[in-house]
Amino acid sequence: MSESSGHFLLLAGSPKPIEKSGSAARGNAVIEGLEERGWTSEAVHLHTAIRSKTGTDEMVNAVDRADVIALAAPLYVDSLPAPTLRALERIAAHCREREHEHSTRFVSILVCGFVEPSQNGTCQRLLEQFAARARLEWVGSISLGGGGGNGFGARRIREALKLLVEAIDEEILLSPYVDDLIGKPTLPKWLYVFGGNAMWKKAAKANGVADRLRAKPYQRPKG
Amino acid sequence: MGKTARILDGGRNDGISTVRTREIAEPILREHGWDVDVLRLAEIDIAPCIGCFGCWIKTPGECVIDDAGRDVARRIVQSDLVVYMTPVLFGGYAPDLKKALDRSIPIILPFFRRVKGEVHHVKRYTRYPRLVGIGVLPDRNDEEGEIFETLVRRNAINMHAPAVESTVFSATDSDETIVRRIEWALSEVIGR
Repeated sequence: MSESSGHFLLLAGSPKPIEKSGSAARGNAVIEGLEERGWTSEAVHLHTAIRSKTGTDEMVNAVDRADVIALAAPLYVDSLPAPTLRALERIAAHCREREHEHSTRFVSILVCGFVEPSQNGTCQRLLEQFAARARLEWVGSISLGGGGGNGFGARRIREALKLLVEAIDEEILLSPYVDDLIGKPTLPKWLYVFGGNAMWKKAAKANGVADRLRAKPYQRPKG
Repeated sequence: MGKTARILDGGRNDGISTVRTREIAEPILREHGWDVDVLRLAEIDIAPCIGCFGCWIKTPGECVIDDAGRDVARRIVQSDLVVYMTPVLFGGYAPDLKKALDRSIPIILPFFRRVKGEVHHVKRYTRYPRLVGIGVLPDRNDEEGEIFETLVRRNAINMHAPAVESTVFSATDSDETIVRRIEWALSEVIGR
């Protein structure tokens, strides 16, 4: 345990409950690593918090308690899910107004459904702007493709998350070695396309809609 | 039948306004013979996407949530041009616009294909609207402006827009600058 152990806040940015969210699972791995080093932690489900004044107040109180904040979220249409954006907007406004005795650090964990982690790039830049606007100290980002690995590249992802734990605990920037570990697709693209398409067909078949997968309910009327 | 331009207005009543932006863009489109339909998203009750993929594998092509989000997705597909008009938040869209876009994924297929070396989703429809992004920054911020323009172009790939352009300006810019930027962005796309 280093001398810098403190309090960690996981902001879960998926609409799914924390226990069912792939991105939050990565955040929980960071929590486990930090708790082994003597850190305390808590988690806030942003989509729930932002729906009520009480939830929003509790969210910003949790932000004030944290030494390090991590946002773990899925990529939605090249950015964050709308309620997550709304929550970050509220947090940034709060952090700009507060008088805080010490700086709070920020990290992000992004998970996209495409095989290339690089498709999180625009969203990562957006989060760096959030950190700047909220006056949070940027530590780094873990960017995962392929829905977070789905079992592929698990060892490399674990190593990357360990480096993130180290960066948080030792108050250093995230090692660029993380890019070597997880910067590339965990599967060949052709295989991801082939396997992914088979998965969608299987899921539709299980729901009895395989023959309607390509339906066009909003087809524009001719004329 | 005239061409339809759909303005997805992410402006809000309690923040940065897009009223002036809309006042400039609408006449330009009408002068060029477009029918203009404005969706004031802050005034439309749309539930957020729950990430269930039901729109792909349970009710293909339609969101499982039966609310105005379905209508917005339908109107996007049945447009010749979609204009994202929004206050810029950290370089991205305002939450009301983003909520509508999150709910629009039923208009593409779940299947993957490679587009210029990258994996993206396959078209559901034969035709998709052209796309223009118009962003209003809270203050001058080159980095956020650049992120906004990148985001619009990334969305155009994923939403199969046949033409795309974007412009961004600060709420404090002169009226002349704002008019010039909007005219330029729209003409780049509606002129094609």
